[in-house]
Formats: sequence, C-alpha cells, structure tokens
Amino acid sequence: MDLANYRTSLVKFQSLIALVLLCIVLSIVSDKFLTVDNTWNVMRQISVNICISVGMTLVILIAGIDLSVGSVLALCGAITAGLLKNGIPIQSSNLYIGFTLLGAILVGLIVGSLLGLFNGWTITRFKVPPFVATLAMLTIARGLTMLWTKGFPISNLGDSFDYIGTGWFLGIPLPVWISGIVVIIAVVITKKTVLGRYIYAIGGNESASKLSGININKVKLTVYAIAGLLAAIGGILVTSRLDSAQPNAGISYELDSIAAVVIGGTSLSGGRGTIMGTVLGAVIIGVLNNGLVLMNVSPFWQQVVKGAVILLAVMIDKANSKNE
Amino acid sequence: MAKKLVKYAVVTIICLLLAYNSVYFKKLSDVNAANKSFNATEYAQNYLDQKLIPSIGKMPSTDTLLNLIKTNPSATFDKFSHAMDIGNIRYFITKGSGIITGLDEADVYITTPAHQNIRIATEYVFGNALRDAPGIININDFTNSGDLNNVSSELNKIIRSKVLPPFKSSVKKGDQIEYAGAFELNRQHLNTDSVEVIPFYLKIKR
Repeated sequence: MDLANYRTSLVKFQSLIALVLLCIVLSIVSDKFLTVDNTWNVMRQISVNICISVGMTLVILIAGIDLSVGSVLALCGAITAGLLKNGIPIQSSNLYIGFTLLGAILVGLIVGSLLGLFNGWTITRFKVPPFVATLAMLTIARGLTMLWTKGFPISNLGDSFDYIGTGWFLGIPLPVWISGIVVIIAVVITKKTVLGRYIYAIGGNESASKLSGININKVKLTVYAIAGLLAAIGGILVTSRLDSAQPNAGISYELDSIAAVVIGGTSLSGGRGTIMGTVLGAVIIGVLNNGLVLMNVSPFWQQVVKGAVILLAVMIDKANSKNE
Repeated sequence: MAKKLVKYAVVTIICLLLAYNSVYFKKLSDVNAANKSFNATEYAQNYLDQKLIPSIGKMPSTDTLLNLIKTNPSATFDKFSHAMDIGNIRYFITKGSGIITGLDEADVYITTPAHQNIRIATEYVFGNALRDAPGIININDFTNSGDLNNVSSELNKIIRSKVLPPFKSSVKKGDQIEYAGAFELNRQHLNTDSVEVIPFYLKIKR
C-alpha cells in the first residue's frame, strides 16, 4: 500500500480508530468500563443522541443547521406524557378525551414533524438563515414546553410507556433497537433513494442542484421535518427512560448532536458525510462521557474535554478538506 | 385513476384505524370521580392519630437510645433508625420525660431522668423526621414523590398549628413534661450533645 492509499484509509476510518483507541485507554484506566452492564448502559444513553444526530446529519448535509432539536425533544416528550397522563379535559361539555399509548406517541411524533416542517418553511419561504430560524424555534419550543407542563415534571406514565425506554427485547435494550432502526432507515435514505442523492447534491452545490431541476425547497422541508420527527423520537425515549417529562429536558442536546455529526466526519459546509460516521461520533461522545464519569473527572473538566475533542475533530476535518 | 383511488382508500383506512386506536372519550365527571387526588392533610392526620400516638408506649426512651448510641452506635442505628433518603442522616422515633431548664424562641431545653440535656423544637418544625423515623410508611404506596413530600409538609403543619400552641402558651421553666417525637443524627458525623426532638405529643405534668 503506497503512502497516498494509506493516508486515504486513515482518513476514512479516523473515527473508528479514535473510538478503538478511546476504548483501549478507558479499559486500562477503569476496570468498570469494559463490562457488559456498562456497555449496555452506554448504548442506552447514546440511543437518544443517535436519533437526533441522524436528523442533524441530514440537515447538515444540505448545509443547514438545526439548533432547536433539544427544545423540540423536550416539547414532544412533554406532550406525549401530558396526553398519556392527563388527556384533554373539556370542562364546558363535560368531555374527557383520553389518549392510548399509541395515540400519545403519534401526537408527539406529529408535533415534532410539524415543528421541523415549520423550521423548513421559514428557511425556504422567507430565506431566514437556518441558524436564526432554528434558534428562534429553540426558544419557542422551550417556552411552549414550560406552558404545557406549567414548569413541573409530568411523572408516573405507566409501565407500558416506561418499557420503551427501559425495556429489553431479545437481550438488547429497546432504545438500542429503536435507534438501530432509525439508523438503518437513514442509511437507506441517504444511499439508496432519490431523496438521499438530492440531499448530497444540495449540500455540495445548491445552485447547480437548482439548475439541474431539483426542487430544493421540497427537499429542505422534508429534511427539517425528518429532523423534527427524530427529535420527537428522542424526546419519547428520554421521557420514557426517566418515567417523567422534565421541562428542562434536552438542554444542550443540540450541541451534543452537532458534535457527533462533526466528529463523525460530516462537513459543516454540507454535501459530505455519512450516517454511520455520525453513529460513530455519537458513540465516541457517549464513551467519552462514560469514561470521564468512571474516572471521577469533575463535570466542569468533562465539558472542557468534550469541547477540546470537538475542536480537534473540526480541525482534522478542515485539514482533510484542504488535502483533498 | 383507479390505482390512485385505491391508494387514497388504503391511506384513509390506516388513518382511521390509527385514530380509532389512539383516542377514547369519557364523561369528565366520571374521570374526575375515579381520579380522586391524594389528600395529604387527611393522610397526615390519620398517620398521627392512628399510627404515631397509639404506639407511644412501645417507643424507646431518649435516655435508652442515647446510651445505646454511645456504647454501640452501629447496631443502634441499624435497629432503631430509619430514613427514606440515601445518606448519613437517620431518624429515631422516641419518647421521654424531663424537667424544663430553659426556653427560647425556637426550643425548650430539658434534662432527662438520666441527666441528658436535649432540646424540644417549639418553633421550627420542618423536614421528614416524623414521617421517616417510625419506618412504617412504605414509599411504594405513593404514586409520586410530591405526595410523599406533602405528607411531611402536612404533618409538620399539624404539629405547628395543633400540638405546639397549647404547650407554648402554658409551659414555664421548672415544669416536668412528657414528650414523644423524632430526632435526627448524622451516622458519619455523630454528635449526641445537641439532640433536638421534633415533637408530636407534649404534656405538662403539674
């Protein structure tokens, strides 16, 4: 293998190499790291980040950004929990509209998709920069969460709902199954469908894509709606795992998901990146978080380390882009 | 055209099936009647009247407890103390008697028959001592932590409004009293010199 091929392989597998090195170091430093229980614990924890990071990857692939995923996650989780627990009482007609588990989850997912669609609409219709549009949605969704929950957690949601976040199926935690299905669908969309090709095309060169007849607005609307839907799935997983919808859930999740996308090798300027890279990025962040906790590193230092890792990933990405 | 119609029909049927399995309707009055909310005040009053007061006779005296804690703290904590939280703070249920040696805004100070100096709280009655000390409330009987916390809150409220006022209005230095209540100790940092009992029963003997 000549030097150029060796370098290409190194760049291609840089995230995987980083993850393996991280695991080796952590298993040497902590005897609790490489245990079955801890592995499932880490997998369960990163399932939520994987779901929202997959959506974030699609958004970043079209050269956009979605800062609202954390708040959308909180709102959808709260709506699902609220409907499941309290339904909708209509005092004037002495009517109570109750929601089954299926109904509450469906409404949560629909709300997430609609909020994502709204993000896409403001971006495509009014040409609001994605950063600003989704920043506004971050605040709006958080405010709506506070209004819906009145600032209090909604707890005791029932065993069936709790099973989604805490249950096991065929020896694997259910959240891992859910995030796995999300990843498979996203890989198929990006690799095997027309939509996937349009996503890469728009991110690579929006003007050229427009000239070649791609309906850019429609693709963007779809991608933002998918990101909202995946944030809603994340919200339902978090709420179910805690058996409680917390009004402050999901704060800074958008940063974790962007970090997973960037560490996974997706270019912030769009058009380049993979879903599997993002999954690796999310696993790296999850393993790093877990390792730092096991090593009793102060939470303040944990943030510093995470920030440094993200910075390093972006610098490597830039260096790679320059060399291509 | 026919293909399109079939497609719309299938989608409509799926949506209707989902909707049918998603929502249900009831009379609001029926739901409200079924979901009668937890009444912490009633629970706390019953707990005081039916659980705490009838069991005063079986409670260990403060003198006995403090002597045991000094001689064999570990076994005494294991046998007599309770707490619902994780940590070193543990609660003891107790009864006792003593002579009032002093009073201030927050406490009355008494000397017990075994010459232990302790305080009885007469102003600031907070926390979970009375709820947790007997160890008879099962956390699993509560559907949420708010209800459990409200029990403490209501119990303390009853003590402040019903137990303390008649006692405070007539107690004076030199009185002999009987009491029952709970006190907390830190298992890790043990200090038996400033025990303060949160009372649920107080009687002046004249």
